[in-house]
Amino acid sequence: MLLFHYINRLKCLLRDKETVFWTLLFPILLATLFNIAFGSITSATEMFSPVATAVIDNQAYQDNVPFKEALKAVSSGEQPLLKVSVLSQDQAEQKLKEGEISGIITVSDGINLRVINTGLYQSLIKSFLDEYLQIEKTAGAIIESNPSAVQNGLFNSLADRRNYTDEISFSGAEPDTFLAYFYALIAMACLYGSFWGLRNVIDIQANLSPLGARRSVSPTHKLTSIVCDQLAALTIHFAEILITICYLVFVLGVDFGKRGGLVVLICFVGSVTGISLGTFVGSAIRKNEKVKYAMLNGISLSMSFLAGLMFIEMKYIVAQNVPLLSYINPAALLSDAFYSLNIYESLTRFYLNFGLLCSLSVLLSVASYMLVRREKYASI
Amino acid sequence: MIIRVQNLVKRYGDLLALDHFGLEIKEGEIFGLLGPNGSGKTTAINCMLSLLKYDKGTIEIFGKPMSPDAYDTKRNIGVVMQNVAVFNELTVLENIRYFCGLYISDKAERSELVEQAIDFVGLQDFRKFLPKKLSGGLLRRLNIACGIAHKPKLIFLDEPTVAVDPQSRNNILEGIQRLNREGATIVYTSHYMEEVEQICSRIAIIDKGKTLATGTKDELKSMIKTGETITAEIFALTDGDIEEVRGLPHVTKVTYDSSRLRVHCSGGKHNLIRLLDKLKERDISFGKVFSEPPTLNDVFLEITGKELRD
Repeated sequence: MLLFHYINRLKCLLRDKETVFWTLLFPILLATLFNIAFGSITSATEMFSPVATAVIDNQAYQDNVPFKEALKAVSSGEQPLLKVSVLSQDQAEQKLKEGEISGIITVSDGINLRVINTGLYQSLIKSFLDEYLQIEKTAGAIIESNPSAVQNGLFNSLADRRNYTDEISFSGAEPDTFLAYFYALIAMACLYGSFWGLRNVIDIQANLSPLGARRSVSPTHKLTSIVCDQLAALTIHFAEILITICYLVFVLGVDFGKRGGLVVLICFVGSVTGISLGTFVGSAIRKNEKVKYAMLNGISLSMSFLAGLMFIEMKYIVAQNVPLLSYINPAALLSDAFYSLNIYESLTRFYLNFGLLCSLSVLLSVASYMLVRREKYASI
Repeated sequence: MIIRVQNLVKRYGDLLALDHFGLEIKEGEIFGLLGPNGSGKTTAINCMLSLLKYDKGTIEIFGKPMSPDAYDTKRNIGVVMQNVAVFNELTVLENIRYFCGLYISDKAERSELVEQAIDFVGLQDFRKFLPKKLSGGLLRRLNIACGIAHKPKLIFLDEPTVAVDPQSRNNILEGIQRLNREGATIVYTSHYMEEVEQICSRIAIIDKGKTLATGTKDELKSMIKTGETITAEIFALTDGDIEEVRGLPHVTKVTYDSSRLRVHCSGGKHNLIRLLDKLKERDISFGKVFSEPPTLNDVFLEITGKELRD
């Protein structure tokens, strides 16, 4: 009998095209748009152009062979840092004023930099000069105390860079700001499970639909109907979330780390939370069906916004200023669970989020059952 | 008694929807609840089905108190709601199978009953159609099939012919009579007196949540003063002529409008002959003349002072 109810409910829900769109296709479409948008940003970042810089053509510059060589080195190669022009003082000043170059290097008693704006390009020129001056000073000191060092490859050693630390992620994944958007997107998809929960309540409550009335006058125990309906909704929604995750991982290449089992587990709990939220809103709010759907859409999007779906900094702003909200917002808990799985070695934070989500689901489910189990109504 | 309702009181805030409502329905009856919209018919049915809370009164079905967990009682009840209650995503066959499955767990028995229900409502050619592809009449038939597929002993039909074309309406009414012949007791609500008069063996007239009168249609008609109403097409009539007609025995009311003379009589015999004699005597020429027996609307009008469809 349970199987009969469950299969029929699966059929009904699977054929509900509108809800399938919102719970499966919409998150996939949004993920695709995110991917296109973030792809453009990444490309823009990677297309670095050399910083246009002028060097004043004077005798001191012409005599400073090491500096000329250093400038030549950073202006050539596959990815040059600077694009150097040797100009007269007037020409350089004119170009700086017109914004054609970012800074003017003057070699006299020392090496000086003149800029009229501050920003990334100016910082890059300054970094280059600082580094050059530091190496020049170091080399001078070494030669002074040990002139034979030049023959022993001093300049090669100074130019040689070695990293003595290696950056690795415990989970094997690279931290990526854009990932947080995809995590918030999955959280939103989980909360959209609330549409299934609402549909279930409407179809089972005699005061919400004629269908509910017909089912209520049948000899089937209400708990049987509720359990079968919710299980069918959970089956469909959990499958939708897994399909969305697969699309993100295998089609868009989004990195969910190497803890696949725990990702699936948190998706399952997210799905339960979403459906419970819809069931609760459906049974507690005394408004018509359309208003309830609009409310759930608003609630899901608001929670996702606070979890960083539209603006990733929002998640941190909320965590800093209203920390309690982060602990009761299922979207924030879900996206943080994905993030902690991907970034941290320890699972403490993941299990905290997991526990809070389970508690929320239980709370919403119990409250909904208390409201739905009523079998006689004041009005229908 | 299949149903016994006593002193049922139901309030919606300040509105008294059922005012010490009571009725008794015997096995094998087609019992009609007749009343205008808002008279309390659907509220009474919803209370009987334990969907609605009520403030006072008792309801017994099959001799047992009715409650939401009276599953044995519910197993023998079929309900056809006023609003179509089917799943839009399931086909005709799947819908009937599902609702039948709420009552019948045996798969083979269920399949047989589903086929019988499809035949019964004449939806053989539409079994794979989704509800949205059905016309209003066919949708109503599906609604009925979903309510009766499990062969219940007691069937509530709440205005099943609302917004239905005449052909489907006749089909539905014939079906209800067939169900009754097959042994089901029917509770039928409607504000169409013709339907109630056509199929119901006993009728309760309801207004403002009260049962005003109960009986067979003849019993109800005999409760009122109004007898037959005679209508005659007459081109010209003077006030004197009308006064003469008004003076005839058993005549209670005379109206003359648009060349139609209507004479209401309070029982008695030979009213038509007496009227024709009077017209002949006063040399009044007339066209078509016919006599109508009192209707349930007359009963309702006389009891409540208003038309059934006001």
